[in-house]
Amino acid sequence: MGGQGAEKAREILASYDGPPARIMEVCGTHTHEIFRYGIRKMLPEQVTLISGPGCPVCVTPVDFIDEAVMLALDRHATVCTFGDLIRVPGSQMSLAGARQKGARLRVVYAPADAVKYAREHPEEQVVFLSVGFETTTPSACLAVDTAVREGLENFSLLTANKTMPAAYQALKGSADAFLYPGHVNAITGTGTCEALVSQGISGVVAGFTAKEILTALAVILAKLKEGKPFFVNCYPRVVTAEGSREAQELVNRLMEPCDSQWRGLGEIPGSGMKLREAYRDFDARIKFSLPKIEGRANPACRCGDVLQGKCSPADCRMFGTGCTPQHPVGACMVSNEGACSAYYQYGGNES
Amino acid sequence: MKETVTLAHGGGGKQTSELINKVFKAHFANPDLTADDAAVLPAPAGKMAMTTDGFIVSPAFFPGGNIGKLSICGTVNDLACMGARPLYLSCGFVIEEGFPMEQLEQIAAAMEKTAKEAGVRIVAGDTKVAGKGQVDGVFITTTGVGQMEEGVHMAGDQARPGDVVIVTGDVGRHGCTILLSREDFGIEAEVTSDCAPLWSAVKAMLDVTHRVHVTRDATRGGVGTVLYEIAGQSKVGIRLDARAVPVAPEVRGVCGLLGLEPLYLACEGRLVIVAPEEEARGILDALHSCPDCAGACVIGRVTEEQPGRVIMDTEIGGQAILPEPGGELLPRIC
Amino acid sequence: MCVGLAAKVVKVADGMALVDAGGAKREVSARLLEELEPGDYVMVHAGAAIAKITSDDEDETDQLLEGLF
Repeated sequence: MGGQGAEKAREILASYDGPPARIMEVCGTHTHEIFRYGIRKMLPEQVTLISGPGCPVCVTPVDFIDEAVMLALDRHATVCTFGDLIRVPGSQMSLAGARQKGARLRVVYAPADAVKYAREHPEEQVVFLSVGFETTTPSACLAVDTAVREGLENFSLLTANKTMPAAYQALKGSADAFLYPGHVNAITGTGTCEALVSQGISGVVAGFTAKEILTALAVILAKLKEGKPFFVNCYPRVVTAEGSREAQELVNRLMEPCDSQWRGLGEIPGSGMKLREAYRDFDARIKFSLPKIEGRANPACRCGDVLQGKCSPADCRMFGTGCTPQHPVGACMVSNEGACSAYYQYGGNES
Repeated sequence: MKETVTLAHGGGGKQTSELINKVFKAHFANPDLTADDAAVLPAPAGKMAMTTDGFIVSPAFFPGGNIGKLSICGTVNDLACMGARPLYLSCGFVIEEGFPMEQLEQIAAAMEKTAKEAGVRIVAGDTKVAGKGQVDGVFITTTGVGQMEEGVHMAGDQARPGDVVIVTGDVGRHGCTILLSREDFGIEAEVTSDCAPLWSAVKAMLDVTHRVHVTRDATRGGVGTVLYEIAGQSKVGIRLDARAVPVAPEVRGVCGLLGLEPLYLACEGRLVIVAPEEEARGILDALHSCPDCAGACVIGRVTEEQPGRVIMDTEIGGQAILPEPGGELLPRIC
Repeated sequence: MCVGLAAKVVKVADGMALVDAGGAKREVSARLLEELEPGDYVMVHAGAAIAKITSDDEDETDQLLEGLF
């Protein structure tokens, strides 16, 4: 790491003398790494980084947690989940709270591990909490595909999968350029982002090493100076124009677009993914006849504004007092990748 | 059928004596360990230190050790961190009904071996058997008494600006080993626990200099947690050089897959030492002569700025606050 | 959004790949990529290899920056 490329990128960033620029990183891992490397401090004053809605935990609505809690406590299902969801507050309780009440909860590394658990525990009903964007959705589909092939009747998904393109359009006015999430583009390719240029939406695909992030930011600033909408793939070692055909076909075979609720942004038409009718046996909502749940988020929480870049985490009156990583109120404080959590842990405005 | 521990072993009668004789006396025998109600011991000269710790690690056996070894190291190291030569230990066992006798013997054997290494005597013990499901396998509590080295004053509030921060080897190995041993994540790596008794290392250091401000063993919460404790208690800042923190490649790989930070993973054989800069060379030389501290190195320094905080100089020359650890360690994926 | 880790493919069989990241090994799905062979480097996310990659970021960034000026 470091080396000449990073030096040069830093020089470009430091010497930027163009107009004020708002750059939104839409990927939580970018947010996390930007803080971890101290990149904000390397930027000139007129360049602002906004942490957008790219952490699936952060944009997952309260209802989803309520559904998961109901599956665990009321339907006695074994709930398998990525670690980050455990502490997200629901209307009544988080999954950690449900675990204290006796819920069977397992943290897994991959959806495939939930299938493995289901295979080894035929007496239990296993539900995987399927959150995530284009990068993660194929893994969930692989899990369902395996369960279908093996005829497993005790495995299902509670889906809250989301896709990014509609969100870029919804957030169009919030930033001058996007730092596109490299691992989403690894799956989808670059076509959708390139197409956004004609709508005046600019951005670059960025990788995740310090050097890759610095380079992507340098490219954005150089391009902004030119004054025209742009797209550049700054992560060519991973991202190709066409992405993973296999992943796209798999997801398309098992899932279809649906309208989706984003915490803070509201419903965005066509921005979600759910299992197709043919796979209804693997859809936990159908399988367990879950009622429609209307979750109640804490009204003082400003996660929605934070996700849209309308305010900084520190502008929320609960930030750091009523809402901390140890006792999170809003989802942005729960996930390590959440903008509020990152601000809090890495020292707020100082970083 | 393999012999197991039964509720009768905890009943206080003949079977209890059998268990004690066969397992514990066989391994812990020494003149101070008697069949009477308490050990009678000569009082140490000068000041003494005393500490206690409970151990509930799951699984009880892991690469590089078991709960027995851990229960000796943990208490011996707590004493060592104060500058106290470990003298005596007591150990209390709570054993789950059905626990394999053979494993209990292995645990006792590991305790015997580790106590010898650390130069400490086990002088009192207690055994209780709990019903199936009331405990997870075996829980051990050890209490230790040690004799303070004269002229040594090491404590969490003694760090001073300008001091160097030393860690005695690569971080996070024990936590990583336990994580992998639980087999929850399907990841394999050749990582062994760093679990080790460290009195001889502390002694070697104190033989070179008594000017050591803080020594802490980085157990639960890892090196990151210890640094925050020291920064808070001494009301100083700590500036960490991210590139200098030693992490085994396997541990880094596991952490990369699971989105974890090695600085927050537990160690059971690593010390964080804070001392004046001019003593650093001598301390490092002394540590390097000890087998468990061959990787000792300076990872940062104490500053006046940002009291209570740990700041990282990052790999690309930026600065970032090391997030304060807290709560359950949860792998993140998305 | 998506924690990814670069890892080296050690073995490929039955749609699964054994990958190695600094000595940490894990079986991941190989089904999202067309052809995978031992020795390839991949980006791993949530139990699947999501892209074939070159092992480090050196040339990539240098070329991008050269292209700018």
